[in-house]
This record gives sequence, structure tokens and C-alpha cells, in this order.
Amino acid sequence: MIGSINPVRVLTMMMLATLCACAASTVEVSGSYPSPTIQRIPLTLGVYYSDALRNYTYTERSQTGDDEYYVESGQTHMELFNTVLPAMFENVVLLDDPAQADAMGVDAIFMPSIDEFQLGMPQKTRLEAYEVWVKYNMRLTGTDGSYIADWVMTAYGNATVGGLSTAESGINDAAVAALRDLASNFSISFTAVPDVRDWLARRT
Amino acid sequence: MNTIRTGCTLAHSRIWPALCVLLLAGLSACTSTTIDEFRQAETGISNDETVVILGRRQGAGYETAADFVQCVGDRMGRGRDALSVVPEQQFVDALFPWFEPRTAPLRSDDLQQLMAQPMVSEKMSQFGIRYIVWLDGQTETTNRMGSISCTVGPGGGGCFGFGSWEDDSSFEARIWDVSSHTAVGTISADANGQSYMPAVFVPIPLLARVEANACNSLADQLKLFVQGG
Repeated sequence: MIGSINPVRVLTMMMLATLCACAASTVEVSGSYPSPTIQRIPLTLGVYYSDALRNYTYTERSQTGDDEYYVESGQTHMELFNTVLPAMFENVVLLDDPAQADAMGVDAIFMPSIDEFQLGMPQKTRLEAYEVWVKYNMRLTGTDGSYIADWVMTAYGNATVGGLSTAESGINDAAVAALRDLASNFSISFTAVPDVRDWLARRT
Repeated sequence: MNTIRTGCTLAHSRIWPALCVLLLAGLSACTSTTIDEFRQAETGISNDETVVILGRRQGAGYETAADFVQCVGDRMGRGRDALSVVPEQQFVDALFPWFEPRTAPLRSDDLQQLMAQPMVSEKMSQFGIRYIVWLDGQTETTNRMGSISCTVGPGGGGCFGFGSWEDDSSFEARIWDVSSHTAVGTISADANGQSYMPAVFVPIPLLARVEANACNSLADQLKLFVQGG
């Protein structure tokens, strides 16, 4: 039986195994987000997700500078806004291009973007939790691209290190908690942003 | 203020060989629990009213564990005088975004403002919430001592050594009456106990069920409290 083992094949397998062990893991963040229980604004909002947001991937590097984790959160960010915004506005229209806004009859265009993403890994922070911080830039413009409001928001989420849970699930849970934090803060504070408040006062 | 103390409880009561009884008698993991109750107003609950237990997660240093919150809720929902307890996640999702770590009301005055919103008060009515119980606390492990080493060889394996540690649970429950928008009382539970792990070939855990005892004592006291007992 031993004589039938091909040494080249064994060596290839070992090399592949070593490569796999060194390769960076991809975490595609996925979660579910509740719809906010808040009063709707009687306006039609156009939403434009840029390619940068749609394909947003954060790369976590090891202490030696190698890629360790790719955290893909573009899709889940869109799911979050697609859940939150219809609860905040009477009508929400997804725009493939901001130039469509006039034709679609929207009152304003909302364009969220991610400015910064940080990941805290337990082995680096010496804490018993995975942590995610995200800094956003929120822009609200008129249908002609004119300025309405531009503001910064931050979100934080963490997930306790579990006995049998993997680093991937810890990163996912921390990211989902951060997105939930964003959703709660965004939906409550939206009408309190001074420029948004002034615009709403003129429109409603 | 009332204080209730429960004595030392054996973690393992079924021990067969007499030798083990003697050996373990000195090593039994004990837990002592102290419950303090502070009542600010009269309480009572009808059959169609419910309670929700929520964990405080605003602190930077720690967060009240979701499984402890669930343990208290489960215990209050069992037994002869069981109460109807709304699961934490179901309530928090239904009232999103008002009970998130960053947005949750910190004082009973904030509850009054929150209830002024028609959509919030409507959801509260749908659940039949009469009391909101805020749980705040954690369990800390201290005084870790000893060491256990394990070896595996061609002829078998085994462990040898001794380890011990102390668990200290400290939780506080603040009870808000949703009908009057006021705080009606506070119950605190402090439990501590020493756990042991002797290892002669096989590690034998003698665990003090500190958090479980804190959960059971707090839940029983909460149940009596909201029923007006």
C-alpha cells in the first residue's frame, strides 16, 4: 500500500496545504436588519450606491504585512440602506445613475460612502472581542447635484470571542453589529442634521 | 431594603464511592448569593400583561451577556406563578432603533419621552408590556491558581495537577413601570464561589454555578417583585 503513494503528489498536496494555510480568508458580511419604527418623511428619495460602496472590501493585514482577511461589506451595506430608507421616506427609488433623478421624480438624492473601516482582532487588541469601526460620509443633493447636506457618521460593533466560533464569524458578527449601530443612529439623527432639517423645513 | 442570603450549595450531589465522598467533601464547589431589593412603588401585573428583560450594553468595559438575560427571562417564564416574558431580541427588533446600545433610554424620564411617540407606544401595547427590567452586570473570574499538565504517549495519556479559580457575579435589575413611566424598584444579586479542578489521570471539574445561581435568585425575586409580593 505504501509503495503506491506517489511522492510528487504528496509533495504537491503538502505545498497546496501550506499555501492554503497562508492564504487570506474572505469574509462576506451578511446579516439581517430590522426595519425602523419611525415616522415616515412624506418625500421621494433617490438612492445612488457608487461602485466604491457596492464593491467595498477592507483588507486586514497581519503584523508581518501579509493580507490576512478580506472583509466584503458592499452588499450588506446596500441591504441595510434598502431596509432602513423605505421606513424613513414615503417613497424610495434606486438610481443606477444620479442623472436619472429628474426623470424619476425624486425630491433628493442620497449617496452614502465609506471613508474608513477598521477591524480590531483579539490577538492584536488583547481584548476578548472582535471590533469593527466604520466612518461614513453621507451626502444629500438636489436632483441637479446641488448641495443639500454632507455629514460624517461613525458606527461601532463588537462580538465576543466564543469558545467554538471562528474568526470569520466573529468578524461578521462585529460588522453586522456596527451596521445595526449605523442604522439606529442614522434613522434617529437624520432629521436632526442641521442642513437636512433646514431642507425638510422648506420641503414639507 | 430587603436582603436575602442563600447558603452554600453543593455543585455535585451524586457521589457514589465513599472514598470520593471524603475526598470531595473538602473540595465541593460552593456558591453564596446575596439579593438586595429596593422598592420605590407598589407593583402588580395582570394576566394579559407582559414583562421584557433587557441587557444594558452602554458601558465601555463590559456588556451584560445576552445568555444571562435569557436565563433570567426563561426562569421568570417557568413555574407556578410564571409570567409572560417577551424575548429580548424580538422586542428590540420590533422597537428598532429605540432600544439599541446607543439609543436606549437610560432613565425612566427618557421612557416618558419615548412613549410620547405614537408608533412606540402602539408597539408596546401590542406586546402588552407592563414592566421593562434592565439588567446590568457581569461575571468576573479572579484568583486563578495551580496548574494541570497533560501528557500523551504510546502507552496512553493522562493529566496531573490542581487548579482553582473564583467567580464573582454582580448584577443589578432596575424595574420600570411602562404604565406610569416610572422606576419602581431595584434588585441586585451578588454571587461568588470557588471552583476546583483536581486532575489525577482525568481532570474532575468541581464547578461553582455562580452565574446560574445569580440568575435563579434574581429571577425568583423579580417574579415576586412584579407580582407585588
